[in-house]
Amino acid sequence: MTAYLANLATLAAIFGILAATLNVAVGYAGIFSVAHAVFFGLGAYAGAQLALLLVPDALLAMLVAALVAGGLSLCLALPALRVRGEYFVAASLGLQMMATTLFTEAKGLTGGMGGLVGIPRPMVLGFEVPTLALALAALVLILLATWLMARGSFGRTLRAIRDAESAAEALGKNINAAKALAVAFACAGAGVAGALFALHMSFVNVESFTLDQSVLVMAMVIVGGTGTLWGPLLGAVLLLSLPAGLSFLPFIPPTEIGAVQQIIYGAAMTLLMIFRPAGLLGDMRTGRKA
Amino acid sequence: MSGATHPLVCRDLSISFGGVKAVQGVSLALPTGKVLALVGPNGAGKTTLFNLITGNLRADAGEATLDDESLIGLKPWQVARRGVARSFQDLRLFTHMTVRENALAATERGSWFWQTGDAKARAARVEAALEATGLSSLAESRAVDLAYAERKFLSMARILAAEARIWLLDEPASGLDLASRIRFAALLRAATARSVTICLIEHNLDVVAELADEIAFLDRGVVLAVGEPQAILRDKALAAIYFGERVA
Repeated sequence: MTAYLANLATLAAIFGILAATLNVAVGYAGIFSVAHAVFFGLGAYAGAQLALLLVPDALLAMLVAALVAGGLSLCLALPALRVRGEYFVAASLGLQMMATTLFTEAKGLTGGMGGLVGIPRPMVLGFEVPTLALALAALVLILLATWLMARGSFGRTLRAIRDAESAAEALGKNINAAKALAVAFACAGAGVAGALFALHMSFVNVESFTLDQSVLVMAMVIVGGTGTLWGPLLGAVLLLSLPAGLSFLPFIPPTEIGAVQQIIYGAAMTLLMIFRPAGLLGDMRTGRKA
Repeated sequence: MSGATHPLVCRDLSISFGGVKAVQGVSLALPTGKVLALVGPNGAGKTTLFNLITGNLRADAGEATLDDESLIGLKPWQVARRGVARSFQDLRLFTHMTVRENALAATERGSWFWQTGDAKARAARVEAALEATGLSSLAESRAVDLAYAERKFLSMARILAAEARIWLLDEPASGLDLASRIRFAALLRAATARSVTICLIEHNLDVVAELADEIAFLDRGVVLAVGEPQAILRDKALAAIYFGERVA
């Protein structure tokens, strides 16, 4: 039971990082990406390959994963950020679909559908360290960075861009630079989560980095509250706990848990959008009719 | 015209959208510390002219200069950093930010994690802008929760806080009641007294008559007349165009 809870807590921390970093793009900058799982995957493959081929050093794996995911996000963001709103959503959807195919086909790097197996346990300075501790430390650092960013001028710039991009630009803000930086931060964070995921699971394949995963992370952000510090973390914990909690209910047959979970997800999202459109921890006034 | 007496100059600016000639060979010069009003019927090209100056649109021909340096090819944020601020007809406030944050954002030009310059001086500019626009007591309210006139003044507060020396104002007084219009006029007079140069698009001719030092009358993308307010406003031919009474 302890191992089960530790595993759940580790996954909650990893998905908390994913949701918190996506929130920087979605909640603060208003950049709706449905491709966060791509950068989660890039980080996972980078971290896994480093551990398999060189050294299973967790800190190095997270650093490399952040650089790979953050760096590649910049290459992709700079042209993609030229489009706005729903057009960016469509562009990110295209990226997600393309990346899923690439992850499947680039067998030399990703292991294809079979994935990468036997990823060694994470080490720090030569000692094996529980992934939970690493994930919690990374989560705290990312939340701290997000908090500092949100209360400073960069956070204001992002929120200004979210609310009125053309007005922000008319006040002298280089919106492309600010948006690219926000995307790079978000994707580097997703990369860190990916490296932790690979080291924790000891196995990764493309099924963890599909559109479904991107949508799940987006749902975590929306359920918890976009543009809030703790909302995405709450969303991650709730959406991960739900299937775990359902499996303990004796009256639901194990084969039906998936269907029940989908119904609960759908109903909860509908009710949430009616009664708390800004999410559980979001501003109550947002989304209400005047 | 030199940059010293006329900091912002447009020469033969033109742009077409498909077959529509939105702005055709417009030449104008904004005198330092004066208010130039752009008047004309809807579709005359007034806002398009603003968009050409601020880099939101790329001119097909002609140029706009600030202090004799061309603005053509610059992005809107680069034009803004040279001291040109604008307001929008639809205000485009940072709706979910507070009044103070709206003004503070206008003082922060850096795109990265830090800002150059004195943070205390920026904060003082924000407080002064809110004081001047009568929004100090609403500083912690969200922009979206403000009344219409307060929103209008917030868009002015952002420009004040930005410390721009050229103001391009797109229908800033529309929808204001008389008391608010009086406050607005005082705000503009105080700005011109500090040598701020203002170009104003306005449909309320009372406001134009009260504030403008000069009027440029546009129709179908062309400047038909430039001159003293009374001369332009009394011109019956221009009035016929403005009120849609001309024969096509």
